[in-house]
Amino acid sequence: MRKKIIECSRVSKEFTTDRGTVNVLQNIDLDVYENELLVLFGPGQCGKSTFINCMAGLDIATSGHVTVNGHKVEKPGPDRGVVYQRTALFPWLTVMGNVEYGPKCRGMGKKERREKAQYYIDLVGLTGFENAYPSKLSGGMQQRVGIARAYCNEPTVMFLDEPFGHLDAQTRYLMQEELIRIWEKEKRTIVFVTNNIEEAIYLADRIVLMTNCPSTLKAEYQIDLSRPRDYTTPEFLQLREEISAVVDKSI
Amino acid sequence: MKTRFRGASKYETAICAAISIFVFLCLWELAVRTTAVGLFISSPITVIGKTLRSIVEPLGTHTIQGHVLWSLSRVAVGFVVGSVAGVVVGVLMGWYRIFEAIVRPLFEVIRPIPPIAWIPLAILWFGLGESSKYFLIFLAVFSNVTMNAYSGARAVDQTLVGAAKMLGANNRQVFTSIVLPSCVPQIFAGLQIGLGSGWATVVAAEMVRSSEGVGWVITKGQDLNNPLQILVGIVGIGVIGYILAVLMRAIEAKLCVWSERGK
Ligand SMILES: Nc1ncnc2c1ncn2[C@@H]1O[C@H](COP(=O)(O)OP(=O)(O)OP(=O)(O)O)[C@@H](O)[C@H]1O
Ligand SMILES: [Mg+2]
Repeated sequence: MRKKIIECSRVSKEFTTDRGTVNVLQNIDLDVYENELLVLFGPGQCGKSTFINCMAGLDIATSGHVTVNGHKVEKPGPDRGVVYQRTALFPWLTVMGNVEYGPKCRGMGKKERREKAQYYIDLVGLTGFENAYPSKLSGGMQQRVGIARAYCNEPTVMFLDEPFGHLDAQTRYLMQEELIRIWEKEKRTIVFVTNNIEEAIYLADRIVLMTNCPSTLKAEYQIDLSRPRDYTTPEFLQLREEISAVVDKSI
Repeated sequence: MKTRFRGASKYETAICAAISIFVFLCLWELAVRTTAVGLFISSPITVIGKTLRSIVEPLGTHTIQGHVLWSLSRVAVGFVVGSVAGVVVGVLMGWYRIFEAIVRPLFEVIRPIPPIAWIPLAILWFGLGESSKYFLIFLAVFSNVTMNAYSGARAVDQTLVGAAKMLGANNRQVFTSIVLPSCVPQIFAGLQIGLGSGWATVVAAEMVRSSEGVGWVITKGQDLNNPLQILVGIVGIGVIGYILAVLMRAIEAKLCVWSERGK
């Protein structure tokens, strides 16, 4: 029996603004298992970031609750790592400064955290860029820093919110390969958000489809293709067609 | 032809500056020699000559650099105290709602009052000595630095605050490692304006009452009916003000390598 790491039960979220109340998430139940790479797949503006924020603790569900490793999520905390849609690196810190930020906050000694940060910088392939400022790096490299920063804090789960959404196609393919390489080396429970079907099938152990607002979970696919995956195999294309058909019907 | 001035190199900018100053001096010289302007104002050659001569021949009790140092030392005191206080008040006001609610109304009333309007009160409170001058410069620096630090702290990117919390930062760490550094470019803009304004205020303060400093050089020139000395004072103020601005920009470029402003 696999261990459940994230348990969401009847999570709903509404936002109240001047223009009234919008119901974004509606009674979502979801379990994520240890070391699973779960992809949340849904159309634009359907509430993917909202759901991720509720699981991470950056926002609080209006009703229902989320637990991570048995602890109820109520506020941000270092057992959950986030890689953002729009890079949220600290621009005044170097690559090293960003990656070691978490351990530093939690009071780890300089030598130890430098070693740890260096390990993850090497892991994401940024060796030699330790002293560069984020503004001097390309979009792909910035997301690598984001991934290293989240990893370096050794969280139980990592949330990646469309981390490759702003990259050009070439870099995007490369980063997907890299993410799988990194994850196979350092297994973590990952929730990955995307609205790109190929990306979803390439990465996922399991894909969960979200509907338009108010969002619920619509369908689930276990992806058993062996890695490394290839976008052009018949199995890949067939899955792609199957899922697309369901998505098109629901929009 | 399209010239992108933003893209001009340091070298080009320096050449342009040199040419523009040189042309201005030539026009001035020409006007003095050929028109009635010469009756009211000395030629630039005379002014520069006198300025250079006053490096060795004292004006009153000090040489020109002595006067400049006196004024600079006054600015330094007011500037240091004013910037520290300004950064503290501005950042707290921008980050803590309650502090903002309490302090901002007071600050908004005091801010539009020009420092020279305080001169009479400053003299009543602190006398004619150094303290009243420090106080005036302090006010000039403080209001500019506070205003900028405040708008900097208000504009802190909430995503970064969230990211820091997710990485385990507590409230104090968020304040020192996210809020403060985010404000640095804005604080620097404030320090620059504050220093310029402090330098302008020291002149005004010295013109009221002092026995040394560039402000004194000017008022004394007026008493002695000596426009040349007034011009020497003015040149001194302009040159030093310019050097201060250049220095501040150099320091900013060093400290803010990461930001757009610093480039
Ligand atoms: N703080 C907020 N206040 C009010 N409405 C919000 C807020 N955050 C999100 N929303 C609304 O919730 C809906 C879902 O937003 P969300 O950003 O979660 O979608 P998304 O699926 O991540 O979109 P994208 O694909 O663009 O990243 C949107 O309609 C948005 O307007
Ligand atoms: Mg989103």
